[in-house]
Amino acid sequence: MANTPQAPASRRETFEPGLSRRLGPVGTGRPSGQAPSSPGKGDIDALLHGNPKLWRGCDMAGQGFHGRSTGFGQLDDILPGRGWPQSGLIELISPCWGMGELQLLLPLMRSVIEQGQWVLWISPPYLLYAPALRQVGVDTRQVLVIKPNASCKDALWSMEKALQTKNCGLVLAWQNWLPDRVLRRLQLAAESGRTLGVLFKHRDNKHSPSPIRLALKDISHGQSRRSLTEVTLIKARGNFRPLTARLNLYQHHPG
Amino acid sequence: MEDPDHTGQLPLPSMASTRAQVIRLPLPLKPPAPQKPRHKETKRRQRGDLWYALYFPQLQELPDAGQEQALKELAALAQEISATVSFHTQALVCEVRSSLNYFGGIDAIHERLQETIANSLQQRQLPPQFLYAASPTVSGSLLLARGGHNALVYRKDNLRSALGQLSIDALRLDKEQNRRLYNMGVRYLRDVWRLPSDGLRKRFGSDFVTLLDKALGRAPEPTHNYLPPPAFDTSYDLPYELESLDRLLPVADELLAQLCDFLRRRDLSTSHLLFSLQHEKRDSTQIDMGLRQPSRCREHLLLLLETHFASLSLPAPVIGLALRVEAFDAFMTRSAPLLNEDRAGGVEGEGTLDRFMEQLQARLGGNYVESIDNVAAHCPEQASSQSDYRQGSSAGPARPAPFPANPRPLWLLDKPHPLVVRNSRLYHRKPIAIISGPERIETSWWAGSDVCRDYYVAREQNGSRIWIFRDRQDRNWYLHGYFA
Repeated sequence: MANTPQAPASRRETFEPGLSRRLGPVGTGRPSGQAPSSPGKGDIDALLHGNPKLWRGCDMAGQGFHGRSTGFGQLDDILPGRGWPQSGLIELISPCWGMGELQLLLPLMRSVIEQGQWVLWISPPYLLYAPALRQVGVDTRQVLVIKPNASCKDALWSMEKALQTKNCGLVLAWQNWLPDRVLRRLQLAAESGRTLGVLFKHRDNKHSPSPIRLALKDISHGQSRRSLTEVTLIKARGNFRPLTARLNLYQHHPG
Repeated sequence: MEDPDHTGQLPLPSMASTRAQVIRLPLPLKPPAPQKPRHKETKRRQRGDLWYALYFPQLQELPDAGQEQALKELAALAQEISATVSFHTQALVCEVRSSLNYFGGIDAIHERLQETIANSLQQRQLPPQFLYAASPTVSGSLLLARGGHNALVYRKDNLRSALGQLSIDALRLDKEQNRRLYNMGVRYLRDVWRLPSDGLRKRFGSDFVTLLDKALGRAPEPTHNYLPPPAFDTSYDLPYELESLDRLLPVADELLAQLCDFLRRRDLSTSHLLFSLQHEKRDSTQIDMGLRQPSRCREHLLLLLETHFASLSLPAPVIGLALRVEAFDAFMTRSAPLLNEDRAGGVEGEGTLDRFMEQLQARLGGNYVESIDNVAAHCPEQASSQSDYRQGSSAGPARPAPFPANPRPLWLLDKPHPLVVRNSRLYHRKPIAIISGPERIETSWWAGSDVCRDYYVAREQNGSRIWIFRDRQDRNWYLHGYFA
């Protein structure tokens, strides 16, 4: 019985969804000496949490592990699947540009580039500064920028095409107001290309079809040097209520 | 051109001339009689090829690439008189027997050629003269032309005597072989004819003997022939005027199908297509379609054209469509993986990204897509460069730029934005609190645009982290970037 506690953990790591048919009734036919119930429970957990398409009524945020880690533990805790979704549209709402919304995405950018995929910036509001990207570990050779003077129609067209392209891992766009129809179309494009798209906005739209909407708010005390940002999960697929996390987005900054 | 009859070197034997007449040639030395079996062969192939060699000694001064280019241009001109034009060192050789009747003799051919070739040479600022000769073998004509004998030899039997007058320099042997021949007392080719060929082979190698055999028509002479560059030009006149570009697509598809067929037959691909939409009483609309990678896939080309059409507005109804392709590339393909599991690899992905970029360029046009790069510059504005994606990707790995020790903002303003100081506090709409700094940057004093600034990291009241500096010359504060 001494090895029982380790058994579920190791099984969870090696478990593949495709094996479920071969496993048969869970918890039966185990080698003697193991408690039948605990390894079986691990298998079920693995099945239930590893699949983003399965939604359970009791599934509160913070369960499951099908997401990509955001790099911020507290944010992982409130996101379904413990991280960013594998594909789809994310809306980031901040009252003005430059409130730390890029810092929030830097770990994601790094992981996308490590996988050999490209990051496309569509009409960013200011000049993208290469030394800063290098400082935070983003390889600029995998970064493409579409000039800000492209028209809105062209920008949206590029975003849709980029989301459909499997090589673009992350598409960032700054668009303040988009009709639901366009958002739904972008969401479909992102799903078909298995790409993550991020839309930066100033204002929230309650009826937006994007699967994840996050709002940023600064909550640091007046003149204190330490900045603290409150990230509110307004909407996430598979989540009931708004959750918040308090993050220090400028961890690597001195002071 | 001097008539070969009056060169004093060679008579113009008539077609029906026999061997006996050849021996009576007014030559200083009587050539040895050709061997019997050879004679039979020449008799059988009496009306064999006649090779007209053009030798351009002035090309020697050009670099190799220039020579090749010049020869190609000249070959295009020479193609007017012959279907077979072959390249040699600083020389071209054309087969003219088949065109003798058509042009009315070798003199007519020569006059026709001389003018155009002299013009072309003058355009390249080269002396317009060239040396020429015609004989039944390629090497024989070349040797005669190089020797400066503007000779015309119709029959193989006469080659031996005609070539015999050439100095051995015309063979272009290396120094050592020249010296050895000279030491043996050989000055002219006719001296070589007297030597036994197996002995020559032993002393001078088989290449030397083969060259002589080729000149006499005893060995086959493979040549590198001129092929005119491919060109594709097709057009389609519409039966009625079309105003909608969507309805033009099937026509364009048909033209593209022709193009792809053309490319497939020649094992080529292209990366540059020119479409022109013709209008009545108006200049035609040109679509310049560039591809990132050469292709001959019809669907791909059509998709790109569709993207081009999407960003096009027609000034008038279209009455015709033309497609022209001038630049071609060799067709390259990648082998597909045998096993299924490899198929998801990066090779296929590369292609999709390239296609995406092509589409982007077709839609947005020109230089909307940029890649960014670090530049080893101290001045903050110059440390980041935005370059056209196409150039950026070819530049290879980034240059190693020094790594700044202090944090840099992800977003930089085009122009530093001035900040307000009120009651000794900094304001950018709302008050600003400095978090860290200063970092002094002083540079570019040698270039006239003196940069001397103290940079600080600050925080706005709404939570943004900003990069501000104080210019030490005008003592003013500026906002330069957002850490975002």
